[in-house]
Amino acid sequence: MIEFPNRPKHAEWQPDFEALVEEHTSMVFSLAWRMTGDRELAEELAQDVLLELDRNLGKMKTAEHVRFWLRQVTMHRASDALRRKRTHAASLGTDVWEELNERHGLMEASSLNGETSLSARLEELLATLPESQRAALVLRYQEDLTPEEIAVTMKSPVATVKSQLQRGLKLLRIRAERTLKEYVRGL
Amino acid sequence: MDFEEQARPAKNEERELVEFERRLQVAIRRHEAPLGLKSRVMAQARARRQARHGRGWMLQRIAASALLAALFGGFAVYHENLEHEKQERQIERRKGEQAAEQVMTALRITSKTLGKVNEHLAENAK
Repeated sequence: MIEFPNRPKHAEWQPDFEALVEEHTSMVFSLAWRMTGDRELAEELAQDVLLELDRNLGKMKTAEHVRFWLRQVTMHRASDALRRKRTHAASLGTDVWEELNERHGLMEASSLNGETSLSARLEELLATLPESQRAALVLRYQEDLTPEEIAVTMKSPVATVKSQLQRGLKLLRIRAERTLKEYVRGL
Repeated sequence: MDFEEQARPAKNEERELVEFERRLQVAIRRHEAPLGLKSRVMAQARARRQARHGRGWMLQRIAASALLAALFGGFAVYHENLEHEKQERQIERRKGEQAAEQVMTALRITSKTLGKVNEHLAENAK
């Protein structure tokens, strides 16, 4: 478990909300977007998470603590939002991931080229992975966290995280090889 | 098939995986935050702080009013008690005065009676 001890008085860290917003908005928004696959929802989530940080600013002990807290809360909020979205979609008889797959199919048919198009398509494929695998991959490759750090953030055992990373990466690669012509050509 | 030939596909596989991880890392770099998101967050945080400050100010005013009301109420009760005590003291004093007058009257009557008894005795002695 990561601990965030209080620093001695002379080195006391003073949180500056505006600076924290400036520094972390992009991280929070990106995590939320990649987890939900919905830009508008991600924007809403990012706003909620940052305002919650403002309410909890007094509890923050260090800059690292803030970063850890933001990642953890964003992942939980995104997970809750996905659950709500799935429930809503189920009540309407639609599937969230079918929706994303359809969107991916449209992108494949479009005339995107080069590294940018490959990145965009990889990102689309990432959105079709199971939630836990997607979470592990996003924290690993977007946030550059180690499996141990991901385990603490997600409150999961390290072994589970490692397995999610391996499976997610494998599944993503299989899907990429099967569907992304640019990727196959690039190898 | 020698060892090198056997190891080649595994090495290729590893290289491909490393390359795939690199591409994935490039693909999922952080997005720029949407324009206006930061300013919206700051505006809402400011509004919340002001509302909280306003609520605090209102609570302070209510507390001060309650304190003043309690002080005035306390003073009124104290004043009323003081008046009541004063009236009671006056009644007691009046009662004391009446009692003293009654005693004096009784003494006067007794004195008169004794005087008459003395006169009567003196007449009998003659």
